[in-house]
Amino acid sequence: MSAMNEAQAFRVLVVDDDPDMGAYLALLLKKEGMQAEIVEDGDSAMMRVMTDPPDLILLDVMMAGVSGFEICQRLKSEEGTALIPIVLITGLEDQESRVRGIESGADDFLSKPVKREELVARVKTLRRLHETRKELESRRLAAEVERKEAIRKTFSRYASPRLADRIVGDMGKSDDIFAKAHRANVVALFADLRGFTRLTDRTEVGRVVEMLNEYFSILSEAAYRHDATIFNMAGDALLVGFNVPFPQDEPAILAYKCAREMLTRFAPVAARWEEEQRVATGVGIGICMGDTVIGNIGSPH
Amino acid sequence: MNYTAVVAKDLEDLIPVFIKNRNKEIDLLRAALGSGDYEQLKQISHRMKGVGNSYGFAPISKFGKTIEDGARTSDNAAIEACIGDYVDYLQKVQVVYE
Repeated sequence: MSAMNEAQAFRVLVVDDDPDMGAYLALLLKKEGMQAEIVEDGDSAMMRVMTDPPDLILLDVMMAGVSGFEICQRLKSEEGTALIPIVLITGLEDQESRVRGIESGADDFLSKPVKREELVARVKTLRRLHETRKELESRRLAAEVERKEAIRKTFSRYASPRLADRIVGDMGKSDDIFAKAHRANVVALFADLRGFTRLTDRTEVGRVVEMLNEYFSILSEAAYRHDATIFNMAGDALLVGFNVPFPQDEPAILAYKCAREMLTRFAPVAARWEEEQRVATGVGIGICMGDTVIGNIGSPH
Repeated sequence: MNYTAVVAKDLEDLIPVFIKNRNKEIDLLRAALGSGDYEQLKQISHRMKGVGNSYGFAPISKFGKTIEDGARTSDNAAIEACIGDYVDYLQKVQVVYE
């Protein structure tokens, strides 16, 4: 078997205190392209499963020390190992063992003497089920990642990518920032476009939209660079916050630097517009700091 | 009486160790019978029942059944006779691989 095939092979842990039976079962599994490892007692089995969980366990019921039932019950009660299929190997006439096996959570049974066709058929069936379950689990995880990405994109409209990542990363945690309304000291920066009314009087509406988009792009880029959160864009007004939703070092200074950048970056645009439209424009900015309530307010929809 | 065990070809590599372990089993059975350890006899015979037929040595499973029944009823004579048959079988069995 090549190294790659070996890594992808279905891995079976054979637990049997009879070395000959263990060797026999392992040989049959290997002939079917599976990887088989043998352990001869319950404690070694538990250790092996906890450190390197196999894809399936063939477990002898009658072993000295910890019985197969006990191992099965323990593994099926642990979250990390409950989904590993377990086939209990019992005596042919041992109905009582089968009942106990069902009670302990076994997925299937094999009778001794073990017939190779039966072993292969049962293991293959469980392998298919196990692989389907793994496939469904990986699809569920992929869907979860996709859902978080969609949420992150939504947040990216209001917060810098770094903040959006942090918000999504915190989702579902007990300290989720939006889970409970709370007070925080927030710095608000309010900006509007001076000369906007005159500009709209003299400029065709399609061109006004282009100009507003250019203006908001400059301002929101500056806001993101300073990790501000955008609260509102309306008409020519922009409202952003600092120290929200996460605490920031010196939010007032950040807001001041952000305002300076907005002014600096907008200056050449204002000059170009004045030349083009004969209207003087500029950015008016106000900054305010104070106690604010943070949380999800309003309808969940 | 001669015995033949028809064993699957792919088990050939396992057979020398299998036979060696069966001979060790004889010693364990005798020791358990000598000390009247019926629990040990039940354990060994239960194992014989499972492994014999699986490998293609059906009589070993049969001996296992007889010894297990003897251990349940504390029938030392039956167990002793069966161990004798087991020894005889192991000495004479010819393995044929198919």
